[in-house]
Amino acid sequence: MKMDRRTFIKAVGVLGASLFLQTYKNDIAKALEFSETKVVWLHGVMDSGCTISMLDGGSPDIIEFLQEYNLKLLYHEVLMMQQGIFVDGKLANTSDLNSEIVLDEILGREKGYVLVSEGAISNGPQGSGKYLMLGGRTYKEIYAKAAKNALAIVAIGNCATNGGVNSAKSDIVELMDPRGVAFTMEDASKGILDLLGIEKPVINLTGCPTHPDWVFLTIGAVVLGKIKIPDDLPSVLDHWKRPKVFFPPDHVIHDNCSRRGYYDRGEFELTVGGPKCLWKLGCKGPYTHADCATRNWNGHLNYCPQAGSPCIGCVQPGFPDSTRPFFVEIEKTGIVGTNITTVAGVAIGGALLAAGAHAVRRTAMKRPEDEEGFAEESIPEETGEKTIEETGGEK
Amino acid sequence: MVQVTVDPVSRIEGHYRINTEVNGDGVITDAQSNGLQLRGFERLLQHQDPRDAALLSQRICGVCPVSHGIAAANALDELFGVAGEVPKNGLLMRNIHQALNFIASHAAHVYVLWGPDLANPAYRDILAKYGDVGNAVWKELQGRFAPLIYQIDGTSYPAGSSYLGAIVEFRRLHEAISLIASKMPHPVLQHVGGVVYSPTVADIGQILSYVTKTMEFVKTFTLGVSPDTWIENTYRASSPQKAATFVLNHLQELLNKSLDSKDFSHSAGWGDVPLFAAFGSELIGEKLIGLPISMKMDLAGTYKDPDKIGFLSYGVFFKPEKGNGYDPTSPADSRVIPSGYMNGYFKLEKFDYKKISESVSHSFYIDDVNDRPPWNGVTVPEGNPENIDYTKGSRSRYSWAKAPHYDGIPCEVGPLARMMIMGEPLVTGLVKTFQDNGYYPVNNYTRMIARMQEILVVVPEMIEWLTQDLQAGGKVAVHTDLSMAKSSTGMGLWEAPRGALGHWIATGPDSMVTLYQAVVPSTWNLAPRNSQGIPSPVEQALIGTKISAAENALGVDYSNPLGILHTARSYDPCLACAVHTIDKTTIDKTGKHPDYTIKVL
Repeated sequence: MKMDRRTFIKAVGVLGASLFLQTYKNDIAKALEFSETKVVWLHGVMDSGCTISMLDGGSPDIIEFLQEYNLKLLYHEVLMMQQGIFVDGKLANTSDLNSEIVLDEILGREKGYVLVSEGAISNGPQGSGKYLMLGGRTYKEIYAKAAKNALAIVAIGNCATNGGVNSAKSDIVELMDPRGVAFTMEDASKGILDLLGIEKPVINLTGCPTHPDWVFLTIGAVVLGKIKIPDDLPSVLDHWKRPKVFFPPDHVIHDNCSRRGYYDRGEFELTVGGPKCLWKLGCKGPYTHADCATRNWNGHLNYCPQAGSPCIGCVQPGFPDSTRPFFVEIEKTGIVGTNITTVAGVAIGGALLAAGAHAVRRTAMKRPEDEEGFAEESIPEETGEKTIEETGGEK
Repeated sequence: MVQVTVDPVSRIEGHYRINTEVNGDGVITDAQSNGLQLRGFERLLQHQDPRDAALLSQRICGVCPVSHGIAAANALDELFGVAGEVPKNGLLMRNIHQALNFIASHAAHVYVLWGPDLANPAYRDILAKYGDVGNAVWKELQGRFAPLIYQIDGTSYPAGSSYLGAIVEFRRLHEAISLIASKMPHPVLQHVGGVVYSPTVADIGQILSYVTKTMEFVKTFTLGVSPDTWIENTYRASSPQKAATFVLNHLQELLNKSLDSKDFSHSAGWGDVPLFAAFGSELIGEKLIGLPISMKMDLAGTYKDPDKIGFLSYGVFFKPEKGNGYDPTSPADSRVIPSGYMNGYFKLEKFDYKKISESVSHSFYIDDVNDRPPWNGVTVPEGNPENIDYTKGSRSRYSWAKAPHYDGIPCEVGPLARMMIMGEPLVTGLVKTFQDNGYYPVNNYTRMIARMQEILVVVPEMIEWLTQDLQAGGKVAVHTDLSMAKSSTGMGLWEAPRGALGHWIATGPDSMVTLYQAVVPSTWNLAPRNSQGIPSPVEQALIGTKISAAENALGVDYSNPLGILHTARSYDPCLACAVHTIDKTTIDKTGKHPDYTIKVL
């Protein structure tokens, strides 16, 4: 199918941004020409897993993504020829081979690029940022300059969006003080941008790693003008700044789980390796807002519960602290103060009882902020469903 | 004396710096290897449910999460007391999972991370002096290996054919992993007592189909001959000499045809491996098959003092014939690529995990003792920003990585160490060829040839596991309960694509983690100096190496330090792995490893 840009925009206008993103196929965009958009991709404290995940993208793949949206990738430590080269402490060679010259040129004169942020930003020790240094300067300093001139920031993966595993509870986390872009864990007052006094539109794509479709299709929608920055962001994003189309507030992985039938029949695995529902092995699918179970990963093939593992909630802003221990039912962890006997009692039985279990568990999952206007993130109540206590076990 | 610094070293995993002193002849005389970030990873596992480690520890590394998952699962098997009972099918699933990751990770390193240096403009200038042959070879190097962001004289060039093709295969192999392990990176297959998924007949068929497709790439792009032919004549050769001779004869045949035709393309049979095998080495390219020019990588990245270097493998891939269960100490006969220690004179010894120790004298950790046995450390990260300074030279503290050693000797780990210890015919044959001709056999060239060859070792083994050993729907895990982990310890020895990987764990009476420790490949390879002042493997390899392309063939160019780039990248650096923190000490009270105390997180 070939169409000019005007017809195309009209067509996607009819669909709306959300539906467009869902139904996007890369051949639609092939014939279109967009003006060049520059992309700067920075790596902070991370394991490069999100870059690897981007290389695993299939529709579009990373090359198609860059070509079809006419993106010019200016800087990416893993995919570039250049590296930092200093002779007697001074920058050497040219931008052909020296990444520090490339970076200086970007920080010095580029404006209006999309800043893709992968990895957390070290603030420690003592606010110095010296726990990550590159080319003789702190990453925090590089990041501040790069963020200032960006059109928008797309934070990919939980390290960048929320600090991720780097910010998980430990005896040294306060010393290390790694920050997400707009949040650190679930704290919106601790993002690095706030600390640096920079205001920029931020789109968060959580996940450990994040999904290449989420990243490519979101940036694609921005380039296409389907997500207008900043005007559309309040309606397109949830309060964690994530596109609702990929992280639906009213939908959890459990809703489309391929093991859902077992759950409805009350058939649960107690040891790994079998085909039944993984709830009792600690599955966080009922609490995790993402389209994993319909989109699938790596060639749209599979997702965690289908592959035999409980969902560990890796897209949740508080991951891993809010979702571990991974192999314990959340009701038994004490996190939400649920009456364990009640929930355990409900868990045994058939479809209706299981639905009842749902209602109890969803109530239990409500957090205080849900009462304060954050309701879109919370798992909606299933009105009409009753708990086993209320129904007295009747059908 | 000129100071040449590469900071950051890009096209690796993580954040890394190398600083060198270079003399007027363009020879590196001193080097420091700097890990640039503190991550504090193991600490977040402390006080937590140990079972989470198999999934969370994977987040140490996005390139080899599989290896961390398996090393952690191995440690958990012992912690829960079930290492002797893990079903054979579970062990085979670990093998297959790891094998797919080895192939994908090696492909990513060869083509995406290391390969682009072959398209460095210095090689254009050198090859230009050799007329049509030189120009034809440059056209191949640039046309195959140019990375995504690549320019010469300010003009951008498209990414290379092999580079782009390899990304497709990388993706395909990750799809194969996803089929049995949900996703990649950070799959979910590994678990205490086995794995969480039992494959179907369809899964097995589909994985074989993925591998078959990848082997088409290996045939057309990588080898230029059928993988079967290559494997039959190298890995399955009856002697190292025959394997080396097969490759040398093959290169000679290719060259005889191409010197006239000036055609060095894939279609002329010059796969990426033959092209590098011929043009990468002075001995093989220039002296043995008669090329006019080579990159002379066999003269760079060598070790000069055999008393200060060793080669180490913990062993990887459970032997299927051993049935259910395994020995956590990894005796040499229990794994397909065996454990072992080879000294700097290439004498092979039995591996003994008790000889592993670590030093923090040159690392940014606060400790009143500089050198401790590895399971008895007390280390706290430097918290004063003033003291985090990478520019104070070889006697200072200069890295977030620590310095592990084996019986006091820094060790190279990775494919070359593994293939030598295994006695893999081609690598062993090449080592012998280099020795017989007066070359030190461990260098930037053999390090890469071994990585390429290891793909061809792993593939046939994996196909056997898939077609002959693995039972569809078979039992893949034993039941475990958290209470089985009370006051216990566990050790997980394994090999990541980059080399030896060990996880150690201990728990308290509530079964929660009291300590967790990972000693990873890049810590071995890319450490700072140890407390005796012995440089790490990469530092030893840098010292004495010439700074510019092909042994300074065009004179000394400090501003294009290919000597550093080739040497550093030949180890496939993974810095997120290499930097980690530890502190506190706990004595192993369980009696499983009475001879050591375990260092914490």
